[in-house]
Order: sequence, then structure tokens, then C-alpha cells
Amino acid sequence: MLEIKGVHAGYGNLKILRGIDMQVPSGGIVTLLGGNGTGKSTLLKAISGLIPLMEGEIIFDGVSVSKLKPHERMRLGLVQVTQAKEAYPAMTVEENLVLGAYTRKDREATKADLQKVYDFFPVLRERRKQLSGTLSGGEVQMLVIGRGLMASPKMLMLDEPSAALAPKVVLEIFANINRIAKSGVTVLVVEQNVRMALILAQYGYIIRDGVIMMKGEAKKLISDPAVKESFLGGSVSDTTKALRN
Amino acid sequence: MGFDFNSLLAFIIFGVTIGVVYGIVALGISLIYSGLDIVHFAHGEMYMFGAFFGLVLAHNVGVPYPVALIGAMILTAILGMLVERVFYRRLTRAGGGYTVAGMGMIICGFGMSVALVNAAYFFFGAEAEPFRANLDYIPRLTFPGDINVPESYVLTAIISVLLMAGLHYFLRHTKTGLAVRAVAHNKDIAYLMGINVPLMISLIFGLACGLAAAAGVLIGPMQSVQVEMGYLMLMKAFAAAVVGGFGSLPGAILGGIMVGIFENLGAAYISASHKDIYAFLLLILVLMFRPSGLFGVEAKVKA
Repeated sequence: MLEIKGVHAGYGNLKILRGIDMQVPSGGIVTLLGGNGTGKSTLLKAISGLIPLMEGEIIFDGVSVSKLKPHERMRLGLVQVTQAKEAYPAMTVEENLVLGAYTRKDREATKADLQKVYDFFPVLRERRKQLSGTLSGGEVQMLVIGRGLMASPKMLMLDEPSAALAPKVVLEIFANINRIAKSGVTVLVVEQNVRMALILAQYGYIIRDGVIMMKGEAKKLISDPAVKESFLGGSVSDTTKALRN
Repeated sequence: MGFDFNSLLAFIIFGVTIGVVYGIVALGISLIYSGLDIVHFAHGEMYMFGAFFGLVLAHNVGVPYPVALIGAMILTAILGMLVERVFYRRLTRAGGGYTVAGMGMIICGFGMSVALVNAAYFFFGAEAEPFRANLDYIPRLTFPGDINVPESYVLTAIISVLLMAGLHYFLRHTKTGLAVRAVAHNKDIAYLMGINVPLMISLIFGLACGLAAAAGVLIGPMQSVQVEMGYLMLMKAFAAAVVGGFGSLPGAILGGIMVGIFENLGAAYISASHKDIYAFLLLILVLMFRPSGLFGVEAKVKA
């Protein structure tokens, strides 16, 4: 579905990504993992077209999209879900959702999709006339995912859906992402929450300093000693112990 | 000497009418500000060009006043979009109003203002021209206490309300209006919604300049049309926008009305020869006691 070949990108003269190769197969969930400042967000921006490539190529659904503008990529079905803090707080929930379908011309299908999103996230239907700035963290996350779904995506890219959410809410959000993937949408999840992301995904990439440091099946990565060492940081009981001391 | 309540009422009515026109220009300034985070300093010249376009259409081409109004709005909108596309876009692309490019943008706006004034001298000449519009079909309003409101003021009130209602409808109830608001709130996210952001910015400029032109054509029959008229209007509209709360659209209108009333009352009861000072007095008072403006709520949500 998505193929990234030798991508170099950055801001002005500052190069952040130094030769990224990645594949996201159709219908699966792939996760891109890494800490702050490793190039995760830059790669997402390069894929959605917010920053130009310095080198390399991005192929989506058999078409090279490297030269296309963001709205043109979106029309092809390559849709990025923004971070939760990037809902429009001064707009109502429904306005946010309608905005997600901005590039679509098929009015009837859009209306039907709005109802589907409401069925998917019933809490959004309850709150549809409310300003999105008044929603809770989990609800805003559902809103931005719903907004992404409104664009009728072939592939959905999620930017840290677990950020700043309580563990219980994270579980709920990840269960929803799983449902979305089951409905036939390819999913790329960018995460810092390594454990959760590797449980959700089938395949994982780990990025550090603008290069892919490690990749592999999620099951293997989660039990890989090197990953455990640098990301998972011991078991839950260890963490609890450390907190008590 | 007893207090004449009727004349106070009259001053307020005239203040509101002229204030609504300030409000329309301020609306444009606020639109551009919320869209680009810049203050458009050449906006007064857009108002002046609008007035001249209206004048040329009404006198030289000979179309009826309402057609001249719409024509002037369209022509000025095109002029505004052209200026944005050719001169401002490089700077706005380099960043918003809070970057170094934003500073460049302010200077560019001043330069554009000077350039447009000189272009207007070249095309329209230096004389102040009276705007004679045939407004016989507009009723003269008479308020209790023998307050006569001339046709041009009635027309101004009607058209201003129509323009505001139109803009409100556009921004709140159309998909393109929603996109304009999205761009105004955050351009990066607007890109991710698949909105063609540069096109929306052009549209914002077109709308704002069209509104300024409407103000110019409305003021025309009350005063005369001359090249230097833009400067003072910019200052008053700016005052109106700040009084109302910068970036807030309802605030722009209410700020304009307040400036209009304040100015008329000052001219009537303090000194008529210092008429233009009162707007700035109000501006200073508001900045001293309520710097975010009287209705600066939306600006806070944005930040």
C-alpha cells in the first residue's frame, strides 16, 4: 500500500531523515516507534506532503506521490489523523467531522459516513453540537480519528493516539484502531507507547536519529532483548517496585 | 440651555451608521489578521480604490449605484488577490505574523500602501471628487423629534447589515466558509484536512478587500472621494478592530459602531474640529483598561 524508498527530508538546511526505507502492506497495522526527536513526526509530515523530500520517493497505492500537494495525496486516500491537541477547539464536533470530508465531492456518501462515524463513536453523536475544546482527552482522540475516517481513507496514519491519555482510555482507543483495520483500512500508527503499539500491530519499525534502527514482526520485536533494554524498560512489576522505593 | 435629547439621539444614529462602515473595513482587517496573523496596512488603500472604482463605474460608465457597488467590490477583490498573489505570498509562505517574515510583511504592507496611493494619483488625479448617486428610490427616514436620516445613511445601514449577514452565513454555514475558519485557526492542520490553503488565503484577501470597497462606495455619497482618504479610514478601522478585540469578527462590527458613536458625540459636545482624535482616545482607553479588546474572546481561543 505504502512504500518509502530512501527518503531524506528535514527543515530548511537541517536534515532530519537520513535514508528511510519502509513498507506498509495493504490491510495490516504497522507501527513506527521512537522517542522524542527521533524523526517520527518529520516522517509523517513527509508522507502527508507537509514538507518536501530532499531525496527518495514515496509510492502510495502504486502511484508516486512525492511531488503531490497534501490535499492531492489526501484525495488518493492517504489520510493523516492529527494529534488530539490539533482538533479545532472553537468548532463543534460536527464541524470538525465535516471538515475531515472536505476533499470529498460525494455528498450522499459523506452523510452516510458521518452516521457511520457516529455509530462507531456514539459519544461523538451525543456531543455533536458541543465545541470540541470542551471534550475530554479520550473524546478528542476519538474525534480526530473520526475526522480521519470522514475522508474515506485507504490508509490512515495516526500520530501518537495514546499521548496524554489514561491507560484505560488508551486500551479503548487501540481497540477502536483495531476495529478500523478490520474494516479494511490500512493503518500506520506512530507511537511512543512501545508495548501497546507492538501488541496492536503486526509489524514494527524503530526509528532513531533519522534512520530505521530495527524492524521486524511485532511479536518478535516485543520479545527482542535489545528492544526490551532500550524501550520497554523492565516489566510492570519492576516499575511498581521502583515507584514504591 | 437645556439638554436637547433629540440631538443626542441624532448624533447616536449618525454615529452608528458611520460606525458600521468602520466596522466593515475592520472586519476585513480582522479577517486577514485571523487568516495570516498579519495586520494589512494597505487596507485603507483598498477602501480608497474601491471608492474610485465605484465612482468610475457610476459616473463614467453610468451604471446604477447598486451595480457600481457590486462592480467595485469585485474589482477591488481582484486587485487584493492580485496583490496578495504577487507580493505577499512569498512572505506569508515563509511563516506567519510572529516570525521575521511577519515583520517583513508589515513593511511590505506599508510599501504597498504608498505604491497604491501613487498609482491612484496617476490614474484618478489629485482632486477630491463628489460622488453623486441617484438614491431617490431609498426612503428618507424620519425619527420622532424631527430627526431626518438622509438616503445615503439609510442605504449604508441596509447594505452593511446585508454584507454582515452574508459573511456570517458564508463563514458559519458553507463548506468553504468552514475551510476559511480552519485556515484561520491553524494552517498546518488545514493542510491535513486536504484544504488548499493558499487558495483560501487568496479568498480571504479577496473577501476582505471586497468589504473595504463596499465601505468606500458607501462613504462616497456622504463625503467626497479622494486619494488620501484611505489613511484615516485604516486608522479608524484599526481602532475599531482593537476596541472590539483583534481577530474577532463580531467585535470588529461592534468596535466600529462604538468608534462611530464616540466620534460623533465627541465632535458634538467637545469640539468638532478635533473629530478624528476621539477614535484614538477610545483606542487608548481600551488598550489601558482592557487590552484584549471588549470582545476579544475568539482571539484567546485561537492562542
